[in-house]
Amino acid sequence: MQIQQITMLGHKDHGKSTLIGSLLISTGAATEERIEDAKNTSKKLGRQFEPAYILDAFSEEREGGLTIDTARAQIKYKGKAFELIDVPGHEELIKNMLSGASYASTAVLVVSAAKDEGIRPQTKRHLFLAKMLGIRHFIVAVNKMDAVDYSQNDYEMIKNDIAAYLDGIGVHSQSVNFVPISAYKSENIISKSQNMHWYRGKPLMELLLTCHTKNSAAKMPLRAIIQGTLETESGVAYTAKVLSGTIETGSSIRILPIDKRATVKRLYVKGREARSAKADENIAINISQDMGNMRGAVISSTNMTKAANAISTMLFFVKPVSGNVEIRFNGNGTDARISLDKVIDTVTGRPKNTQRPKALDAAECIIRLGKKVAVEEFSSFRDLGRFVVYSSGKFAGIGVVEKVLG
Amino acid sequence: MIEQNLDELEEKSIYIMREAKERFGNIAALWSMGKDSTVMLALARKAFMGKVPFPVIHIDNGIDFPETYEFREKLAKQWKLDLIVQKSDIKPEISGYACCGANKTVALKKIMRERGFDALIVSIRRDEHGIRGKERYISPRTKDFKWKYKDQPAELWNDYSSKQSNGGHIRVHPLLDWNEIDIWNYIKREKVPINSLYFARDGTRYRSLGCTHCTVPIKSNADSVDKIINELKNTKVEERSGRQQDKETAYIMEKLRALGYM
Repeated sequence: MQIQQITMLGHKDHGKSTLIGSLLISTGAATEERIEDAKNTSKKLGRQFEPAYILDAFSEEREGGLTIDTARAQIKYKGKAFELIDVPGHEELIKNMLSGASYASTAVLVVSAAKDEGIRPQTKRHLFLAKMLGIRHFIVAVNKMDAVDYSQNDYEMIKNDIAAYLDGIGVHSQSVNFVPISAYKSENIISKSQNMHWYRGKPLMELLLTCHTKNSAAKMPLRAIIQGTLETESGVAYTAKVLSGTIETGSSIRILPIDKRATVKRLYVKGREARSAKADENIAINISQDMGNMRGAVISSTNMTKAANAISTMLFFVKPVSGNVEIRFNGNGTDARISLDKVIDTVTGRPKNTQRPKALDAAECIIRLGKKVAVEEFSSFRDLGRFVVYSSGKFAGIGVVEKVLG
Repeated sequence: MIEQNLDELEEKSIYIMREAKERFGNIAALWSMGKDSTVMLALARKAFMGKVPFPVIHIDNGIDFPETYEFREKLAKQWKLDLIVQKSDIKPEISGYACCGANKTVALKKIMRERGFDALIVSIRRDEHGIRGKERYISPRTKDFKWKYKDQPAELWNDYSSKQSNGGHIRVHPLLDWNEIDIWNYIKREKVPINSLYFARDGTRYRSLGCTHCTVPIKSNADSVDKIINELKNTKVEERSGRQQDKETAYIMEKLRALGYM
């Protein structure tokens, strides 16, 4: 069954985990044992029943009432399957948020309408990051509507503010669905709420049904990333993962960044010799000449893939860095030097008048790599156009390739 | 329980196992002779040209089921496994959490140190338990086997480049994405040999296998892979409901995992 991965987004305490817990219960996906466990925990902590405890499994999460690390749960609804990804809403935990949200194709932004909550820094920053991660579908769920007497006015204010922000960062807000909900009371989640007749749209689950996307990688040109080597009966083979298109025995392949050609002599899929392999498959290939260590090299049949040591990028900093860093494409590190162009405030989405990015800022940068790497623009092929940034061995941020300079 | 696409799951697991083999010098896997770690070995054979290219460790407290030992010997021979049996103590006065924590983990630490393994493949799945749902694919453990779960490394975009540090090791979790029912669908599709204790006899079967002291069977008449798959399609009961150690006190799994239990 095809599963659509959906990440929650939003500021802490706005109800992301509660929404997932509530969905797990109302779609029948949570086992009785886990519901019972959540009930007992709520009672022990002297709180009202809290569906968030179904996913918030750590003692520190339950007692502290926060999500520390990302977790996932699957539900089925009207014949379609979804994996709901919970992420922390604290700004200190943004590395865990990225780890979870990076797997999703759809995002549900949860923003609380309750007094003293409303639009907060992570509400907008998470949208900025989701766009950078390449998430295609956005739904905005205005939560805790029961706490504001289901006020249409409060809902519209939040909606307008977020729509303006989305347009500002280049997500067309007209294509984004907004829905007023109460996660805790299950209103406008599965069925329409009786308390919000002014809302003419569909409940959240119905909106999610329209977000299914199909994977089209098989029809694209061949791209495969070389992982390492493997002993086969016909000698040492290179292992690789096909990212798009197909690869065939006997065909001539172009390998980047060395920019050499070779012929595929033998091809193995899942331990057996095969004629061809398609996107998503892990292969082992014997090629016409030994090219030494090629981990991280890319087999590509399109000239969109380039061997480059200068790229124009958008970076997001989990911690402030400048100058020399290590950047890793698909787990392969390269020394790099960053030259900042424009620093962007991820809460306003606008440029900042500074050349020194702080943690949680983004920046347009030129990156010069210590050696040539096979890359592609993120907009043309994601897997080869994104990287993580390390500084002094520590995770420092993420980046996407906007333009290959040469 | 949602049935996922087996080809997709298989490819994800193969990628992670190959990545681990590529990046770590001295890798081993835990094999309990249960369904998950046996499926992991079947996947390793696909990833590595029909061979399991790393040693497999059984932490043996001497009180596993006779069927389990029998299955171990049979499959080790059939698949030419490099089997390491590491004996663990069993003290009659200790049971449950204390038993697994104190005894099995001690034995695992001993063999890891002796053989200098820097990475360990463990066949946990996210859907087994809320705590396991929080794991990364590649997860560092400290020198004393501790899991610093409050500060896990970032893991995104095929970047599984966490490294071991200061004498610690890496846990590799290639089966994290699999659901229980996927394991059974895969066993069916690939005809993976499986421990006979999973099949019902006289109205009961084991759904999750531990040792004889701490595992209780569930009521079931599922005496074939097909019947087990059918049973799982409709169940509302947790897989590990027959595992004593999960239930003693709140947060027991968190404690076990934080201490380096598998």
